[in-house]
Amino acid sequence: MGRLVLNSVSRKFNNFQALLNVNFEVADGEFVCLLGPSGCGKTTVLRLAAGLVAPDEGSICLDDKKINGVNKECGFVFQEYALFPWRTVKENIEFGPQVKGMTKTECESISKHYIDLVGLSGFENHYPKELSGGMKQRVGIARAYANNPKLLLMDEPFGALDAQTRNLMQGELLRIWETEHISVLFVTHSVDEAVYLADKVVVMSARPGKVKEIFDIKLTRPRIRTSMEANIIRDSVLKSLVTEIKMAANK
Amino acid sequence: MKFETGKRGLLINILSLIVFTIVWQILVILARNDIFNIPFIRLRDIPTPVETWYALVGSMFTRIYGPSFTYGIINHVYASLQRVIQGGIIAFIIGVPVGIGVGYSKFLGNLFNPIIEIVRNMPPMAWIPLSIFIFVSGGSIFIVFIGVVFPIILNTIQGVKSTDSRLIDAAKTLGASESMIVKKVVIPSAFPSIITGLRIGIGVGWMAIVAAEMVIRSPVGLGYFIWNMGDLGRYSEMVAGMVVIGVIGYIMNISILLLQRRFINWVD
Repeated sequence: MGRLVLNSVSRKFNNFQALLNVNFEVADGEFVCLLGPSGCGKTTVLRLAAGLVAPDEGSICLDDKKINGVNKECGFVFQEYALFPWRTVKENIEFGPQVKGMTKTECESISKHYIDLVGLSGFENHYPKELSGGMKQRVGIARAYANNPKLLLMDEPFGALDAQTRNLMQGELLRIWETEHISVLFVTHSVDEAVYLADKVVVMSARPGKVKEIFDIKLTRPRIRTSMEANIIRDSVLKSLVTEIKMAANK
Repeated sequence: MKFETGKRGLLINILSLIVFTIVWQILVILARNDIFNIPFIRLRDIPTPVETWYALVGSMFTRIYGPSFTYGIINHVYASLQRVIQGGIIAFIIGVPVGIGVGYSKFLGNLFNPIIEIVRNMPPMAWIPLSIFIFVSGGSIFIVFIGVVFPIILNTIQGVKSTDSRLIDAAKTLGASESMIVKKVVIPSAFPSIITGLRIGIGVGWMAIVAAEMVIRSPVGLGYFIWNMGDLGRYSEMVAGMVVIGVIGYIMNISILLLQRRFINWVD
């Protein structure tokens, strides 16, 4: 399970309309990328899905349950990692299980499992400041997964990484996702990233944010970034996006 | 500002102290021999470093004379330190929760900020006369408390307010309740600031205790000691007491700084 439905969602901040009548769906187990110009409200969509903000109009449902208050069935992965700097890798991953009141043994078996899954064995007792950007985000992913969510919300998780680490982490994310399959809503600026990762790409328009176009990407995985098919899709997604980027720049 | 570190830095530190002491010695000697003088300053009456050293050694453990200062400097140090530690502990126990509450809750902030902002502008010394007549005993501990509590409150507030909102969001999505967020995110995140507040506060408290002991005239304490030595014209002992105050203040500051580095090793 893990079906997220946004139904005519609108949200204002002070005087500006961040989102206007947004409709789309993340099917159970689907990997959806949200693409759009800066400031179009992509992050707001994630925060709405996480229940960190509430919509002014419309509704957001996870498995037909309306999200009301913080959504504890989602895992959030932040661009700047948002790891607790005073907690080691292991302690960061155990945060969710701990606040849920699990025993020490349960917490440890969960953290061990996810440390192995994301490939951080040997770094259990390192503090975030001792890790590279890619490793920090592995912790971020493991911490989100450790709470056993139905839906993973990722806010430009690889945006702060260099190009090579970024490609590597995209592959790693897919590997982890294929092992423990849950729905993913992934915000990105990068058409390349979206076409490499997603089952479905949702392109949003410039402010106020609306859904402009949805692309289904039927390429089989593992995908080859330079393949003809990928290029064709990239080209059409980019065309759809470029007009919005120009509009956003003119505003 | 950038300081030299490592061996070279330490060498310069030590050298500077030695040069300072030598210049002090030379100036006083020159003044005593009428070779050099500064107008309006009785340079010749200042004890030299050598005299200060002998006074320090001589009065460290042994009583000097008379009934009013039966103690060696070490007893005075002990008494003053004890007051600073007692006042500091009370200030910490009260200041940290107040700072967390005021920093985290808008309501408590609005409620307490005006009081804090006005009272913190009254220097600890301004409280001495009041404390003399309202406290049967322990007035000087109260003065220390006043000196320590505000740096702790203000730094705690600042630490709480600068908690990264993304960390709070992360904790929320991981299922943490409001009280869990305070306990597991806000307090750990503010902890380095809290300790900085304690360090600054102890510095203020140490200055306040010397002043309080001078005025309150507790029978033992460094402030009392240097005041009394001044009264008795024993200026070498008086300056020795001043040096001790400076050195102990420095040691306390460095100790907290080292503890902070040792135990808060996660800070970038």
